[in-house]
Amino acid sequence: MRIKKKNDNQAYLYILPAFLLSLVFIYYCIGFTFYSSFTDWDGMSKTMNFVGLKNYIKIFQDKTFYIAIKNNITFFIGTVFIQALLGFILAVLIKEGLKLSNAFKTIYFFPIAMATSIITGIFRIILNPTTGSLNVMLKSLHLNFLAKSWLGNPDIALFAVIAVNIFQWMGFSMIIYYSSLMSIPDDIYESASIEGASFFRVLWSITRPMVHSTTNLLIILGIVGSLKTFDIVKLLTNGGPGRSTTVLNTYLYEKAFSNFAAGEAATIGIFILVLSLAMSYLQVRISKESY
Amino acid sequence: MKERNKHVIMYIVLIFFAVIWISPIFVAIEKSLQVTGFKSYISVLTYDKINYFKVVLNSLIIAVSTASVVVLISSLAAYAFSKMKFIGSKVLYLLFLGCLAVPAAAVTMPLFSTIKNLGLIDTRLGVILPLIAFNTPMMLLMITNYFNSIPNSLLESAKIDGANSFIVYRIIIMPLAIPIIANVLVLTFIYSWNEYLMPLLVVRTEGKYTVTLAAQYFMSTTFQSPADVAKIYAAMLLLTLPSIVVYMFSQKYLQAGLTAGAIKE
Repeated sequence: MRIKKKNDNQAYLYILPAFLLSLVFIYYCIGFTFYSSFTDWDGMSKTMNFVGLKNYIKIFQDKTFYIAIKNNITFFIGTVFIQALLGFILAVLIKEGLKLSNAFKTIYFFPIAMATSIITGIFRIILNPTTGSLNVMLKSLHLNFLAKSWLGNPDIALFAVIAVNIFQWMGFSMIIYYSSLMSIPDDIYESASIEGASFFRVLWSITRPMVHSTTNLLIILGIVGSLKTFDIVKLLTNGGPGRSTTVLNTYLYEKAFSNFAAGEAATIGIFILVLSLAMSYLQVRISKESY
Repeated sequence: MKERNKHVIMYIVLIFFAVIWISPIFVAIEKSLQVTGFKSYISVLTYDKINYFKVVLNSLIIAVSTASVVVLISSLAAYAFSKMKFIGSKVLYLLFLGCLAVPAAAVTMPLFSTIKNLGLIDTRLGVILPLIAFNTPMMLLMITNYFNSIPNSLLESAKIDGANSFIVYRIIIMPLAIPIIANVLVLTFIYSWNEYLMPLLVVRTEGKYTVTLAAQYFMSTTFQSPADVAKIYAAMLLLTLPSIVVYMFSQKYLQAGLTAGAIKE
């Protein structure tokens, strides 16, 4: 016979270590961010004077803030759709079970295991306008007009950053599509092939709708990922040239550590947090509906 | 015949993208050897300002301790959330879930200030503790989902035999959860090894540099001559070598971990 206790007090002990760490480093920092967004804190000194909504008014009238938002949106759209399309195509091909499928998977996926600081390091040399391998190759193919100053031209720099980001994360979309494709029952494909449906017909009419929810998930993850974007921009272009690649997180970092305007930085932080929270909520909703 | 043509086209597409994906590494290897051969590697290994082995050791210490503590504390908490009834469990779980939405970069200044007030600037612990905190929520979620699939009846029989809850966790739950534990371990290891923001905030002296900071350091040195370029490529390759080795042995877990992490319940 077992006696079921209503409240298992031991549970709190099991949760305590994880709870304490998130309390100190996450919740306290969120509270601190919220509080300091209403102050003139410089980030260094102990003095924090309450200034009301001054930081919010300043940030929402700040042109660079809107440039950063625009860049975040471009970054998200550029990354997610190309990445999802490539990831989908490659996942479909890998799922066909050709020989060497696993080797291809390994190759597409390995940049995820590499540090962003190393990938950006390699690409900064490759994309160098005069000595970089990309332009050297383009010039040797007599495609001089394509040999751009990839990270130095404000019209192109953001797209170069997006391309490097796709290089690093495409394998992620691929693997998510792959696992979603593996969950489609085989008999659906068998009946389609008996009816003589072509490869592309099957792809369009059966596979595509079946992975619809995965695509939605990748879009939400893309927005969340875009809101987390920091390393790749900081290391590739540091937001420049001009403001052409500044995103919210690098602008926040600049405000906090270069301009000593920690209050304004916190205001940007609150903006990012609110958006991230909304997106994560959507992500959980979508996961629940479809898995 | 038609089937064969289809396969040829598939291979062409797969190889085309494989070439694009492998070429940066290939270029890096080729250029690193082009001027002085392996001497570029030796000059990185014997560089006086940044000690390669020290840097790798620093990253290793940070990644191993973060990954093992994350596995321990998130599996303990997941056990409570999945197998125990207690007041406030829903709210506490939501509090962890909410942490998932917090990009560390959005709270940098308060984070920096907290680490400073704890006296942890320029220490490995100052990198490890926030990394544990920011990795735990996601891993906790993954482990809880997995624990939920372990039938309660398995635990009941042990409880009848008088085993206390910690013994149930250690003898029954953890051995059954080895697949998810492996995923979480690998995922957290790779994330912490590759972490850039925390070391950037915390580390000051070169002796405590991580792989990611060392990479940034080498990038900030001049690279005008082909010999400089060779040396920087060599540095990048040497610094990424440990993660490539880890990847080769653990890609299955990394892929499974990332998939499980994306699809939340």
